[in-house]
Amino acid sequence: MAGEDQERFEDYLELERYIEELQAGNIAHPPADLTPERARIYQMAALFRSASPEAVDPSPEFIASLHARLLAEKDELDQDTVPRLPSVTLPDQSSPIQKEQEEKQPSITNPPTRVTRRARFFSRRSLLGGGAVAAASLVVGAGIGAAFEQSNGVSPVATTTATATPYSSSAATTMPIVPSDVAVPHFVANLAEIGDKAVRFTTDTLIGYVILSDGDDGEVPKGEVVAMSASCTHMGCIVQWQDADRNFHCPCHGGIFTEYGKPDKASPIRYLASLPRLETRVKDGKVYVMVPRGASVGNSV
Amino acid sequence: MHTPHERYQQTHLAAQQGTQTSETIDRQWSQKVQEFQSFYQENLTLIYRYIYSKVGNREEAEDMTSQIFMKAVRDVDAERGPHSMQKWLFQVARTTIADYWRAYYRASISSLEELLDAGWEGPFNEEVAIPSEAPNERVQRILEALPPQYREVLTCRFLLNLTIKETASQLGLTEANVKVLQFRALKRAADLEPVVARTSKTP
Repeated sequence: MAGEDQERFEDYLELERYIEELQAGNIAHPPADLTPERARIYQMAALFRSASPEAVDPSPEFIASLHARLLAEKDELDQDTVPRLPSVTLPDQSSPIQKEQEEKQPSITNPPTRVTRRARFFSRRSLLGGGAVAAASLVVGAGIGAAFEQSNGVSPVATTTATATPYSSSAATTMPIVPSDVAVPHFVANLAEIGDKAVRFTTDTLIGYVILSDGDDGEVPKGEVVAMSASCTHMGCIVQWQDADRNFHCPCHGGIFTEYGKPDKASPIRYLASLPRLETRVKDGKVYVMVPRGASVGNSV
Repeated sequence: MHTPHERYQQTHLAAQQGTQTSETIDRQWSQKVQEFQSFYQENLTLIYRYIYSKVGNREEAEDMTSQIFMKAVRDVDAERGPHSMQKWLFQVARTTIADYWRAYYRASISSLEELLDAGWEGPFNEEVAIPSEAPNERVQRILEALPPQYREVLTCRFLLNLTIKETASQLGLTEANVKVLQFRALKRAADLEPVVARTSKTP
């Protein structure tokens, strides 16, 4: 062919040097400033070298070490974008009460605490539906207070709403949750009206239940009033009293509490804290619950 | 004007939308991890072999393969399907090789493109595809297309890994002869390669 480079002795030597380096398994580079034609010859050498039985596949050590590096890198990237919110799982549409007892218990010991802002190689965000996931879960708590506000501008005191994670809510069943300096009495019902069925009450700042103790939980003497928050200690949904089994049921994830707010054994949610107790006052046959001051009780915004 | 109860219901229902229990998410997460494992395993070998066939040595192949996958973990969009991810990987591999060549070969850009295109669907593809065949297969077809003596010397030196001395002995030539022969054999291989690639596409 016309226009070919003249072959020189050095060409053969340089090529041989390159091939020997490759055969030895060393890093090798062609001489600098090759013509395109010469470059192609070295390309071929590299290509043919890769057909050698020795070349074959990546070493197991390399595979494992790169894999580990990739996972570590991925973890680090997810960390960088975490907005540091509490676990933000949302209730699913189907009624959890109808779930079978044998169904695998949802794990809240390992909640997905990572919500990444960008879809990375893969991320949990792509699994959680839609945006503002975290904001939506906070709405559960805020919405309740907001719905019952009498005036504007006062946000509900977040004592038992969604910002409380299951583990941070009070472990002791009898510790009242409302500090005495913010508590005011709220009339719930006449003592005579409260029996063995839970009576719900709603204020600006709390929704709860009162019930009369029949002495069977070993804590509250018979005949005394037990008051507790209705906010499920899992995610803050309002638990619903059921006459049938005399338990409180959470419509969100199926949490079950006894008539006194203790986690029931049948509950599909494990490790639930008890519904926080509220202090009560009985005066002149009327039952009052100590609740935080709200908008409709006196104070300015 | 909404009643408080209606407002309550609205906000409560709003919170219920879009989703999934933590259990479902955990399950999907491990599924995703599984997908990553398989994706990684399949593509690692492919990319590694491709890079190796361009650089000819293990160490650089490992380095560049690592580079490519680290970049994937950082930059690749999670929503792509596996085939799309593979294409992306090969695109990055291509660029990585081009940079490598630019550093060591100092060849012109146009020849780089030609070199890169060899082994792809065709020399003038607009869309970068995944190589149609493995490097090993390319080598086989080229060998079959070579004249016998060229085929012999390349088989000895590359497939059998014989030294110059052993090859000379095998082929009944002097060592000097072998050096010349291998040079010309590789040159002919380079000339043949685009022709062979174009004429026999894998089904």
